[in-house]
Amino acid sequence: MSVDTARILPLRNGAGTNPKIVAKNIQKYFGNVLAMEDISCSINEREFVAIIGPSGCGKSTFLYLIAGFEKASHGELLINNVPITGPGPDRGIVFQEFVLFPWLTVLRNVTLGLDIKGVQRQEAEERARKWIRLTGLSGFEDAYPSTLSGGMKQRVAIARALTYDPEVLLLDEPFGALDVQTKNYMIQDLQNLWLEANRTIVMITHSVSEAVQLADRVLVLSSRPSRIIADVAIKLPHPRDLRDPLLRRHEDEITAILSAEVDKAMSLERQASAKAERRGS
Amino acid sequence: MSVETSDVRLERYDLSTAPFGAMVGIGRAALIVVPLILWELCSRFGLINGFLFPPPSMILYKLWVQSGPIGNPPYAIWWHVAYSMLRLLSGITLAVGIGTLIGVALGMSRRARLVFQPIISILMPVPTLAWTPVLLLLIGIDNRTTILVVFLAAVFEMIYIVASGIEMMNVKMLWVAQSMGATRWQIFWRVIIPGIFPYLITGTRLGTGYAWRALIAAEMLAASSYGLGFMIYDASEYMNMDVIYGGVMLIAVLGYVLENVLIGKIEAATTEKWGVLNER
Repeated sequence: MSVDTARILPLRNGAGTNPKIVAKNIQKYFGNVLAMEDISCSINEREFVAIIGPSGCGKSTFLYLIAGFEKASHGELLINNVPITGPGPDRGIVFQEFVLFPWLTVLRNVTLGLDIKGVQRQEAEERARKWIRLTGLSGFEDAYPSTLSGGMKQRVAIARALTYDPEVLLLDEPFGALDVQTKNYMIQDLQNLWLEANRTIVMITHSVSEAVQLADRVLVLSSRPSRIIADVAIKLPHPRDLRDPLLRRHEDEITAILSAEVDKAMSLERQASAKAERRGS
Repeated sequence: MSVETSDVRLERYDLSTAPFGAMVGIGRAALIVVPLILWELCSRFGLINGFLFPPPSMILYKLWVQSGPIGNPPYAIWWHVAYSMLRLLSGITLAVGIGTLIGVALGMSRRARLVFQPIISILMPVPTLAWTPVLLLLIGIDNRTTILVVFLAAVFEMIYIVASGIEMMNVKMLWVAQSMGATRWQIFWRVIIPGIFPYLITGTRLGTGYAWRALIAAEMLAASSYGLGFMIYDASEYMNMDVIYGGVMLIAVLGYVLENVLIGKIEAATTEKWGVLNER
């Protein structure tokens, strides 16, 4: 990537060099099935890391391990050098399917994290309104989620996760349920939000273009049992334009790694099913 | 769990007359009024036995007299209704509270479910009235007996529906609350209870229906002075057909009010406003 070095610009706010999240030899079994073989990585403070991989490779599982919803079978997972033992308000989560609370208005969904902390209602609303404004939801504070479009629901979910001020924002395929137009719009917005929020972000995605457009680093996972097969740094300033040739080059590079991996997985799968068929006949 | 209905609103239970206007309203009223008029005429002109089928006007008159100061005892109808309602609402409240707690416990723990499912499945179909003789021997003719009958009639439905509501709930809702640092107590009140609200409403509605039927029957066996069931039973001893029919009419009207108007109001203020569908 010698081409890029000439163009390195100081990253906005500078992704720090202190490791925020460290994974050491993470292994995860579901029953007897090995889902994660060996994952080791380090995610720095204020870094935006995208994790990409073939479907079913366990990228969401890795995110849930960081979130504390699931436990690793082996290995060590640290946040601020402290082992992760369960979910906590230092990590905010946004799911593909939004998971809003339908009985709460937009404003109450967004303030919930602060309500739970016991923050005064007035202060909670003030802090919520900031993120409601930045996510473009002003005017919808009193609407119930069922009346919102998919893109707006996702904005509520993002505002909800940012309002209680987590150090790390975990995004689980945040644009997966959105149509293309809404998605492109949200990607632009997320870049600006990130500049504003200045947090560590870990995003799971299966879209290479999303990953290269948003992230400082893209980790590519292998198919199951998963390992990290590539760690690509994208040293381009934000906001990024998908037509930028350098961005295209990264996109092609990662796509190539990914399709080689998918090809390998598919041929293995075919061999296995052919073997099973021969055994059957 | 509840399905959001932003795009397609499935108004399965909406009986508003809007699309057909007055026609439906007239049809509905006619189905109640016309048979009553026929009954009235047949009874008055001796086409049917006037003792077994006293004219509706006489029945209503009897109800009117019995709810006034010259009733026997004075204001009798009000007392009967008040006692029945007291027993019903106490029993239902107990059933909703205890049923919700047990249902949540069963829903949250797979092990508890495996242990308790069979016993609940066995007890659920036992007609509540079958317990009444036992309760009568244990407690005697007392409000507690009828309240317990109401409780038993409603509680199994509550447990069952709440447990399945929890099972249907998106576990990610709990995750979101956990990652906000919510305590178990906060998760219970802020996520689980509102999350299963559509099921709570359905359970309460079904449970109230069962309980209402069980109550009237239990009052015939286990009430000594007041209650609509007692009123009908007592009237049958004296062959007061008008009181019997009056009691039946009151039961029908009160049951309708409870199930549709009262619970309907709660529904409109909660799940309908939220745009989630009630599970039935």
